[in-house]
Amino acid sequence: MNSYEEFSKKDKPTDYFIKLSEELSKLNEELNAFNVISESSKINKFPISVKDNLCIKDMETTASSKILKSYIPPFDATVVSKIRGKNNFSFLGKTNMDEFGFGSFGVNSEKCPKNPFNTSYVSGGSSSGSAIATSILKYHISIAESTGGSISTPSAFCGVVGFTPTYGSVSRYGLIDYSNSLDKIGIMARNSNDIRFMYDIIKGKDSYDTTCVDVKCNNENNKTIILIDELIKGINPEIEKSFLELVDNFSKMGYKIKHKSLPFIEKAIASYYIIAMAEASTNLAKYTGFKYGFKNENISEKYNEFFTTSRSNFGKEAKRRLVLGTFVRSASVKDMYYSKALKTRTLLINELSKVLNEGFILSPVMPIKTPKFDEINKFSPLEVYKTDILTIPPNLCGFPHIAFPYKYLNGMPLGAQLITKHWNDYAIIDIVFEWENNFKYNFKYNLGSL
Amino acid sequence: MKIGLEVHVGLPTKTKLFCRCKAYATEPNTAICPICTGLPGAKPMLNKKALELSVDISNALNCTIEKETSFVRKVYFYPDLPKSFQITQKDMPVGHSGTLKINNKVIGIRRIQLEEDPAKILREDNYTLIDYNRSGQPLVEIVTEPDITSEDELRVFMNELKSILYYLGVDVDQDIKADLNISLSDSRVEIKNVTGLKNLIDAAKYEIQRQEKLIKEKQKISQETRSYSEAKLSTISSREKESDEEYGFIFEPDLTTYSLQSIKPKEPVYVSEIAKEYSKKYHVNESQLLEIISFDKTSLKIIQSFAGKYEMKSILNAILSFKRYGKSELKEKFIEKAIKLIEKGSYLDGEVISALEKGKEININNNVVNTDEIDSEIRSIINKNKQLLEDYKTNKKAMNSVIGMVLKKFKTNPRIISERLEYILSNEFKV
Repeated sequence: MNSYEEFSKKDKPTDYFIKLSEELSKLNEELNAFNVISESSKINKFPISVKDNLCIKDMETTASSKILKSYIPPFDATVVSKIRGKNNFSFLGKTNMDEFGFGSFGVNSEKCPKNPFNTSYVSGGSSSGSAIATSILKYHISIAESTGGSISTPSAFCGVVGFTPTYGSVSRYGLIDYSNSLDKIGIMARNSNDIRFMYDIIKGKDSYDTTCVDVKCNNENNKTIILIDELIKGINPEIEKSFLELVDNFSKMGYKIKHKSLPFIEKAIASYYIIAMAEASTNLAKYTGFKYGFKNENISEKYNEFFTTSRSNFGKEAKRRLVLGTFVRSASVKDMYYSKALKTRTLLINELSKVLNEGFILSPVMPIKTPKFDEINKFSPLEVYKTDILTIPPNLCGFPHIAFPYKYLNGMPLGAQLITKHWNDYAIIDIVFEWENNFKYNFKYNLGSL
Repeated sequence: MKIGLEVHVGLPTKTKLFCRCKAYATEPNTAICPICTGLPGAKPMLNKKALELSVDISNALNCTIEKETSFVRKVYFYPDLPKSFQITQKDMPVGHSGTLKINNKVIGIRRIQLEEDPAKILREDNYTLIDYNRSGQPLVEIVTEPDITSEDELRVFMNELKSILYYLGVDVDQDIKADLNISLSDSRVEIKNVTGLKNLIDAAKYEIQRQEKLIKEKQKISQETRSYSEAKLSTISSREKESDEEYGFIFEPDLTTYSLQSIKPKEPVYVSEIAKEYSKKYHVNESQLLEIISFDKTSLKIIQSFAGKYEMKSILNAILSFKRYGKSELKEKFIEKAIKLIEKGSYLDGEVISALEKGKEININNNVVNTDEIDSEIRSIINKNKQLLEDYKTNKKAMNSVIGMVLKKFKTNPRIISERLEYILSNEFKV
């Protein structure tokens, strides 16, 4: 049974939603999961939260950026209107994130999101708020988005299930772009049933997004798990130990375990960051302080000075990606970086497709343990980018993948990630369903329990 | 001398290139949406009709049309560009390597690409207004090789191009915009954003003279971008370093690649070829025929259906008379009646045309006149009496005596004589 069904069948006290809203607002002051929480009068059905880079008509949408402060979109994103169309859900609010999706730990946001299991730990990013919301609310599904790992990482750190579908299966219309050829809208929930339930609502062709197509999703499972040597070799020893226990469990569940070496996979990080930054630098170009969000009042400035002043409102990581992204696509170096990165992506899709035809790739989500805030400060930007090695390959290639908790270590959840071939989305949701027979979710908060 | 062109042609689609807004609305900022104003989250979707028209144009200009086409983002900052990038084409344009024949010469067409127009900026003294109705209007850019070598070739090329576009259903008229590249030396000078054919010719004329003068004075011509001032009839340096422009093109990731193989292009019409063929075959004036058919589908259709059946001279005479006096659109059945009258020796004046349009029967006996004889009588009188021309320049009534003299010889309608006189004075004596 999914939580939606369970929630619908239970009797709710008349002040249920008011109480929920109050409790949530209070906890949110500590965890910063939400940028906006809807008024309690507007919440009267199953609560859904939406990452703050998805447009909801008449609700402030900023992608956690100062440059979009007080921007209220005049239209709904396609996923939002699909959910609205079902008439059974309320939008609880907009969830916190790394500014424009630029980050792996959630810390690139003005209001720093905190891990609900222990507030001295990061929540993971960039869909930090969606993971926290799902982790603290008993009945909840969150619509998140991943470009390079923004669903898997926070899901793992906050102990929820995070599903990133095949690129092109869910419409991106109304998603504030980070990197259009990589951005994928996905789902976070507290179990695999809720993921499947919501995926069936949001997927499907949309004439407003050319890259979104109708392809029948499959459920092919040849009971084979593949471990890629290059992905396993650099992980933290404690994580590795726990992960190998998980592999053993899959073996007991009747899965054949295969090892493979794929040295080329290490090129994924460079290829990903070049494409992502090149596209991001064109997407950020529109924020000139002119029409929406932050408005530069000094309209007598020359246009070059005018938009430069406005762009000082970008956060540090956004500025870094703007500069690097503009550089890698400039004429004199484009062949060395941008064009080469596109070719690398195509090669990697071909290589990984071959592997994925043989079975599912399983790995931890992050090669490191959930970091504390004071540890993050010691990382250089490049070290941060490198921690994405496990989540980037499926994201770069548009392969569906799912992160799920498999163990609690010193009170903190550990997450693993399954990857499958394009349009085999249901298979990995079903494997997590199968895994749930051996696993008991253990959430610290259960706001709104009945 | 080398002249190259980048011609921008607005496509006559109902909706814009990447959204469903009305393409050509008049009331400012009424045909706008999240897509064409570049709101966060909005994505483009390609107008298939615009793609088809760009294929028609590429085919008519003998371009190579590849299997697929795709779009790029061209990033630059300007208040008329809501996304701060323009969706255009670069490495995979709709057409490339084409040709257009003019006066037995071939002008190379480098590329033909589909792109969106930016918004329109209206600059006032103390403020600037932006009309986003234009943002996202579909444009085709036609880039030529620098094969044009004279002002006259430029004019012929533009007329030929406009006529081809007209017959494809892309009637550009005065809206045609172009960037002009002119080099008389090693330095290329680009004149940006010239609107209308007349301005284009004037700008070229001025720039050629300017560069000729500099060469004569042994001065250096600098490679630069200039703009044309209609009021001053001259070009002015834009102080823009064009060689430094850095657009940072990337593939437009919100669109896909589009197949061009399935699009069947519309059959092009080359009026200059038709004019040449018919003038040889039917012994009529080529340039007159070209002028009639360049921008007139109906005339061309009438000429083609009556050619061989009637004298070409009579067909053209009938069409011209209708164009001169007619109040409604040309109709084949009226033209045919007119041709028959002409072939019986009748003269078509305003009265006859109006009667034909009303479907009245014409009694041709009253109207049989040999205008050729009248014409030669008029010429002979004027030639014998040149002072008349001088007098006419100051006093339009000076020619009335001619009408009287001709009337004495041919007992006919004075209005016919008056019309022939007027025609001869303006076309032959140029007064």
